[in-house]
Amino acid sequence: MPETEVEPEVQRIGRDLHDALPGRSRNPVKAIDARAMELASRDAQLRAALFRLVDVTPACRSLDDLAAHLGAYLEEVGERPPPIEAALRAAHNAAGRRALGLAAAGGVRHMAHRFIVGESPKAALRTLRGLWDDGVASSVDLLGEATVTREEADHYAERCHEALDALADSMGRWPSRPALESDSSGPLSRVNLSVKVSALTPLMRPEAPEVGREDAAQRMRPLLRRARDLEAHLHIDMESLDALETTIELVFELLDEDEFATGPSAGVVLQAYLRDSPAQLDRLLEWAGASTRTPPLTVRLVKGAYWDHEVVEARQHGWRPPVFEVKAESDRNFESLSTRLLSARPLVRVAIASHNLRSVAHAVAVNRATGGADADLELQILRGLGDELQQALASNELRVRAYCPVGDLVAGMAYLVRRLLENTSNDSFLGDQQRGAPIEELLAAP
Amino acid sequence: MSEFLNEPVLELRRAPVRESLLEALRELDSRLPLEVPVLVGGDRGAIEGLDSTDPGAPSRLVARAGRAGEAEARAAVQTAAAGFREWSAHSAAERAEVLSGAAGRLRERRLELAALMVRECAKPWPEADADVCEAIDFLEYYARAAPSLDTGAELLQVPGERNTMRHAPRGVVAVISPWNFPLAIACGMTAAGLAAGNAVVLKPAEQSPACALALVEALHGAGVPPDALALLPGFGEAGAALVRDPGVHVIAFTGSGAVGLDIVRAAAETPEGQGHVKRVVAEMGGKNCVIVDADADLDDVVPALVGSAFGFAGQKCSAASRVLVHEGTHDALLRRLGGAVEVLDVGQAERFATDVPPVIEQEAQERVHGYARDAEAAGRLVARPERVPDAGWFCAPTVWAGLDPDAPVLHEEVFGPLLTVEAVSSVEAACDAVDSLPFALTAGLFSRSPATVDAVAARLPVGNLYVNRGITGAMVARQPFGGNRRSGVGTKAGGPGYLLQFTEPRVVTENTMRHGLVVE
Repeated sequence: MPETEVEPEVQRIGRDLHDALPGRSRNPVKAIDARAMELASRDAQLRAALFRLVDVTPACRSLDDLAAHLGAYLEEVGERPPPIEAALRAAHNAAGRRALGLAAAGGVRHMAHRFIVGESPKAALRTLRGLWDDGVASSVDLLGEATVTREEADHYAERCHEALDALADSMGRWPSRPALESDSSGPLSRVNLSVKVSALTPLMRPEAPEVGREDAAQRMRPLLRRARDLEAHLHIDMESLDALETTIELVFELLDEDEFATGPSAGVVLQAYLRDSPAQLDRLLEWAGASTRTPPLTVRLVKGAYWDHEVVEARQHGWRPPVFEVKAESDRNFESLSTRLLSARPLVRVAIASHNLRSVAHAVAVNRATGGADADLELQILRGLGDELQQALASNELRVRAYCPVGDLVAGMAYLVRRLLENTSNDSFLGDQQRGAPIEELLAAP
Repeated sequence: MSEFLNEPVLELRRAPVRESLLEALRELDSRLPLEVPVLVGGDRGAIEGLDSTDPGAPSRLVARAGRAGEAEARAAVQTAAAGFREWSAHSAAERAEVLSGAAGRLRERRLELAALMVRECAKPWPEADADVCEAIDFLEYYARAAPSLDTGAELLQVPGERNTMRHAPRGVVAVISPWNFPLAIACGMTAAGLAAGNAVVLKPAEQSPACALALVEALHGAGVPPDALALLPGFGEAGAALVRDPGVHVIAFTGSGAVGLDIVRAAAETPEGQGHVKRVVAEMGGKNCVIVDADADLDDVVPALVGSAFGFAGQKCSAASRVLVHEGTHDALLRRLGGAVEVLDVGQAERFATDVPPVIEQEAQERVHGYARDAEAAGRLVARPERVPDAGWFCAPTVWAGLDPDAPVLHEEVFGPLLTVEAVSSVEAACDAVDSLPFALTAGLFSRSPATVDAVAARLPVGNLYVNRGITGAMVARQPFGGNRRSGVGTKAGGPGYLLQFTEPRVVTENTMRHGLVVE
């Protein structure tokens, strides 16, 4: 299907969605957050100070300690706005440090609550139920510290089991929402858990992917069984490129086992920022074509959240970065992969995870143009980042799922920093949107 | 010449790259054992007297080598004196071209050379590949530094006077190199000597003669005259003879502290007929500590410690040996570090899955086991993987805690996969402990406080301090490497000024005033 044919539809859908975005002024708390983020994205040094504060908060032993760290980070900011100067002065005496520590801890906690829906799956249920009532499904992601020992891998697996149980127990009693519960391929699970392979094994070795695969498989198998028995969906997240081989091979290997021939529903992630993502998609489709499983593999298409990591690592080693370095290339690839995925149905189910209005509108238009019902396209947003888009999508009766991290502040820090990085990045869609870029620009073909 | 850039390491996370290395290993295996003659001038000596074996399978002969003794050392130095005249007649720019050409030859053979290190030294693939890259880097870096020796430093000039300074080569450099970086360190010292215009006699460690031969072949092939570079495979006797030889001007050594200090003493002698004082450039041992403050992120600390202490079985002079951790974080670190070490894969270097390869030889195995026994008597075992292969010189990686502060294992270099952990009341207390050691090579600090980072950097005497990362893997031009105190004598390798150690400065002052006229 020529892209020119869908372009007018992309524009129309994009404008409809844009019109449906809630006004920011209606939510005063978010307005404050937006101001802080805006400030941070304008000033690189301030942004660094903010990130370092968020990063160190869980390791600080006292408010005094926290304030001392914050003071030291702010010292390194060259041109300090008046409130920062005041904070720095406060850091110079004990009483001031206590007040500053309290304020900083409160600020970080507030920011964390924006992205993290609860400390445990049980604690998250209220929010998840609220989403469901608003016509939004969820996928729960359990945040954790890095896994470096067997015990930590076991503990993460245990948390996943408990999450599946707790979610299944509660969600089973929720009222029916037909629009969220089936597509052309059949029923869709209410319970949807995202898991990370690197958390299931201490043996991720990029140069020996079979080691991590074999070890993680021992913990993944019982999880798949549990998900199958509870009729839950298990989504295997993708992390940095170092984990890609281990992750993909693990998923293929396990889903090919006889006991999983009819379930559970499972999914993987395709990262559009990877230069070789078209080849990755070939591989996914080849596997899906050869597979005899009944629930189709769900493929979640994302831009990718490890861009800075991949670029820095490649530069340090003298490698060509594995990711597109020009945003437009990544955006174009995203649309091309969307189109290919949507054309590959019913071999796969498609989930488009993006906060870029243009990318989302494009997927919706292509889905319709290829004869798909709106229910056949899942749109995913990140809790805390895509809340406004989520509302716009739901109000346009599109099927939307919010990716909801669950865990405590310590465990969530790496996640939080990645999300902040995304939100304050100079060439992010959200950044453009926050700066009030005109609709023509936001919806322009990449 | 183009701007210096580090040679990129292989992207081992990609399967075809790994397969190409395994193919190179199969090809190498089909040619074993290699032959390493004594090479002096154009002459190839006999190939007997020294066998180089695979530490992971000691019955496998990797190379048969000649065994140079005093006579060969003497002949090599005399030939080098002639070679020196020929080589030093070339301009620095010409010498630089030759060195860069040698780098190209190593680049062409990089897979084969990495495979050779896997076999001859049980160096795992990532480290073996990095070793080849470092060798290439030394050649390219010193090649680029050489021309400035001819032009010299800027001096103060006044009217009627022209002052110039240049750096002339000293003569014959004896390079005595270790087996743990069998290509890179041999190459770094040799390339520096040659770049500065000296002739070099290379005496590689007896455990890695074949790697040294590959280096010498690359240099000869690129145009270093046969007389200007000799290879003396052999044992300590050849090295000792070189150190005492009156025809040697500079001794460049990397190895143990005991041998290094012997060299320093022996080189101080000025026997009748020796018209110069020898200079010693020595990189010796370390007792490298990593300080972990209470605000450190253990998610980063644990992998960095595991990599720094157990990579290549701890056989790097920069390897982490002692952890000094804030008492508030001590128990959590011990639990996580212990768990991470229990899952380490101890196996053959040729397996990409291997985390800890065998140590170099039986003597090393016995030494490490001896320290483990000491540690057992003076403290408690925190972690040790269950499975350790029998055949080959394997040592289980271990972590120890609760040690008696006077235990030798806390103060002596183990040079093997053994890590100790001590609780400290503060970062200052940790700095005191580091400062009380006679070694000062590398150290690490994990802290997220800028003030702590500044204070520790100002306080620690070490040559290389690494903050919030592993403490091994110094890169040419990025982390010039070398120790202070009893860890080393000389300027940092792979950094500015290193070549000057292989030269003699000469200043010429010319009166440009004649009968009141300045003739410039």
